[in-house]
Amino acid sequence: MRGLITPVLSIAASLVVVGILLAAIGINPVEAYIAMFTNSFTSKFGLAELCVKTTPLILTGLAVAIPLRAGLWNIGAEGQLYMGAFAASVIALYSNLPGYAMLPAMFLTAAVFGMAWAAIPAVLKARFDLNEILSTLLLNYVAIHWVEYMVYGPMRGREVYNFPYTDLFPDAATLPRFFGTRFHLGFFIAILIAIIIYYVIKKTHFGFSLRIVGANPRAAEYAGINRQRMIVYSMMLGGMFAGIAGMIEVSGIQLRLRPLISTGYGYAGIPVALLASGNPLLVMVSATLFGFLYVGGSVLQTAYSVPVAIVYVFHSLIVLFIIAGQSLRRD
Amino acid sequence: MDTLLEMRNIVKRFGNLVANDHINFEVRRGEIHGLLGENGAGKTTLMNILYGIYRPDEGEIIFEGEKVRFKSPKDAISAGIGMVHQHFMLVPRMNVFQNIVLGYRTPSDPLVNQKWVEERVRTLSEKYGIDVALYEFVMNLSVGEEQRVEILKALFRDVKLLILDEPTAVLTPQEVDSLFYALKSMTKSGLTIIFITHKLKEALKVTDRITVLRRGKKVGTVNTSETNERELTRMMVGRDIGFYISKPVTKYGKEVLKVEDLWVRDERKNYAVKGVNFSIREGEILGIAGVSGNGQRELEEAIAGLRKVEKGRIILDGKEITKKGVREREDIAYIPEDRIGVGLAPSLSVLENLMLKDFKKYKKGFFLNFEEMERKAKELIEEFSVKTPSIHSKAGTLSGGNIQRLILARELSKNPRLIIASQPTRGLDVEGTDYVRRRLVDAAVKGAAVLLISEDLEEVFQLADRIAVMYEGEIRGIMEREKASYDKVGYLMAGGLEVTV
Repeated sequence: MRGLITPVLSIAASLVVVGILLAAIGINPVEAYIAMFTNSFTSKFGLAELCVKTTPLILTGLAVAIPLRAGLWNIGAEGQLYMGAFAASVIALYSNLPGYAMLPAMFLTAAVFGMAWAAIPAVLKARFDLNEILSTLLLNYVAIHWVEYMVYGPMRGREVYNFPYTDLFPDAATLPRFFGTRFHLGFFIAILIAIIIYYVIKKTHFGFSLRIVGANPRAAEYAGINRQRMIVYSMMLGGMFAGIAGMIEVSGIQLRLRPLISTGYGYAGIPVALLASGNPLLVMVSATLFGFLYVGGSVLQTAYSVPVAIVYVFHSLIVLFIIAGQSLRRD
Repeated sequence: MDTLLEMRNIVKRFGNLVANDHINFEVRRGEIHGLLGENGAGKTTLMNILYGIYRPDEGEIIFEGEKVRFKSPKDAISAGIGMVHQHFMLVPRMNVFQNIVLGYRTPSDPLVNQKWVEERVRTLSEKYGIDVALYEFVMNLSVGEEQRVEILKALFRDVKLLILDEPTAVLTPQEVDSLFYALKSMTKSGLTIIFITHKLKEALKVTDRITVLRRGKKVGTVNTSETNERELTRMMVGRDIGFYISKPVTKYGKEVLKVEDLWVRDERKNYAVKGVNFSIREGEILGIAGVSGNGQRELEEAIAGLRKVEKGRIILDGKEITKKGVREREDIAYIPEDRIGVGLAPSLSVLENLMLKDFKKYKKGFFLNFEEMERKAKELIEEFSVKTPSIHSKAGTLSGGNIQRLILARELSKNPRLIIASQPTRGLDVEGTDYVRRRLVDAAVKGAAVLLISEDLEEVFQLADRIAVMYEGEIRGIMEREKASYDKVGYLMAGGLEVTV
């Protein structure tokens, strides 16, 4: 129970502060919040959008949460997501695989690319103790610009009138959608992964070792656990989830590769993981909350003409309050 | 003799814990007053209140006949109270002179009047018989010298009352003697001293009166000349304890551990262990005495598999393990010096800490068998009487003694061939110390080889069959317990070379 108090207070505090901001620009905050809520939860399309936004957030949340268990900060989920999206797009556009093999192949290559991208900072950390916060963060820019280069150049489509897009994926390379909305299979994949990883963390010896490394690295060495190896494994596992998120975004929503496929999902994974204190099941809950903020944010923009800056302020405030709450809880 | 200090009805609470429960404490001018008690009895809390670090919840302090309220140590210092902490608070990269004047205003402030300081230090040194090299850097000083600097620093500030918190913990026997000599001469010149300790012998040797605390309460104050060890123990613990455990001489079996010409580096890549040789047989306890920092930690870590060996060989039961990892040294139990930092993951549960090394043995298919692990953990807790609310409580919330029991439970339950125990009773109370020593002796009697590394000479002499002294990375002489004496071991600990044996 006590674990719940801090996150709830953090959210309440940011609601109050953003409410003051909204009031300052002449919008009744209570009305706005109600509109955000009803739009996201009471219509079919609202709910579908909520799930669409929540899906990548679950995966990037896990991408941060797993390394966090070993005491590592993966700020690179954004870049790992881009690399996964890139890899999946290459398969979708150029592989000519038979239909039934297409999605599984995209899934696997995206997972491998995400993993590989995360392996770089992980190995640097394990071998040379290079700060993983910096290396993962910087590699994001490399990945984002890599995708940009590809869609402006080698991968630019033939039917896109000079826009920086690839061609649309063949049908076999898109995730099935349901209910006539953008709601797609990726949502279930994300949920399934979260549940599996929960059991891996709680019940296997890998999860046990990870917990010891995270709790006290020196005790882990003392117990004969190879800490370097755990650093690399946990980071790669995280990168894998972010890579899968990238594949799901391009094959479920964008249906092609283009710049800016993610609106900061990788970074939002950090507060998602923190709010859930690294617990994979709770990651689903906190990802839903952030999904709601994404959907609600666009409601504020369209219905109340709230400047997009205020929406970003909203997101950032929640993150700040969560971090503040976490450090308070530690004492 | 008149009363210099009176603390009346002092109460200090930390949450639910009452650290000081209506304590009355009175110190007379010119005496050495021992403050005796087990760890957690409230000695340091009481002194921190006096020194202005904590403020009491209730009660008052009367110093030199006036009621005082110290808001910070600065107030206490200007009233004439100085304190030398257990961990020295000197700046290693500054010299002694700079450390002494740090934060002090000399007559020509803001400039430092060097002549005046030199003159004053010289007077004080002569008066109290404390010698220091004024222009030596603190990092080049021995622990004993550092302590003298701390004391001099307090004297320099004209203290009337000097508090020493466990001052002998880090000293060799010879250094202890010279400290006691200096303390006596200080009181002759009118200084008053409070001497915090949990060592009975020292309290009896140097003090004039002794106040005993137990569990936050004052048990009583006695004149040192009218008391003895037995009475003080009873006051400290609340009952008699047979604290003279000694190891029965058993027949030694096969050689378990052999270390040959071992060279190990420390973090700064300097050699910390320089060509060490020894061996331990079944049923034998080898005690390594020595002041901390002479290569003991590097030696034990190398044997436990946590530190790379540069040269030489480690042989366990006839097999070379020099290059093997921790996992391949399952027959070695290791009770590390830094229990909380190395031996434990304080934020994890008691269960997880008990299974820290063995969890891989509880695999059931893809998953771990938690029921089996819980059953085993409950068994261990029972056997080693670890006091914990449940096996799911965080290990870090246990008391120091129970943390050590938890580590013993994990390490000894696997029936190891070799036990490395490093400072195994440091910081434990009488009861906990007693328990740990018994366990180690039992394990040896049952046939394990024990490597005991300890700064506590009394412990080494009680438990070890053979005693080795480690100094600057070398073993200076290994002798049978019967042939060893405090003087001889102390001489070697201080860097003396072996003359005979």
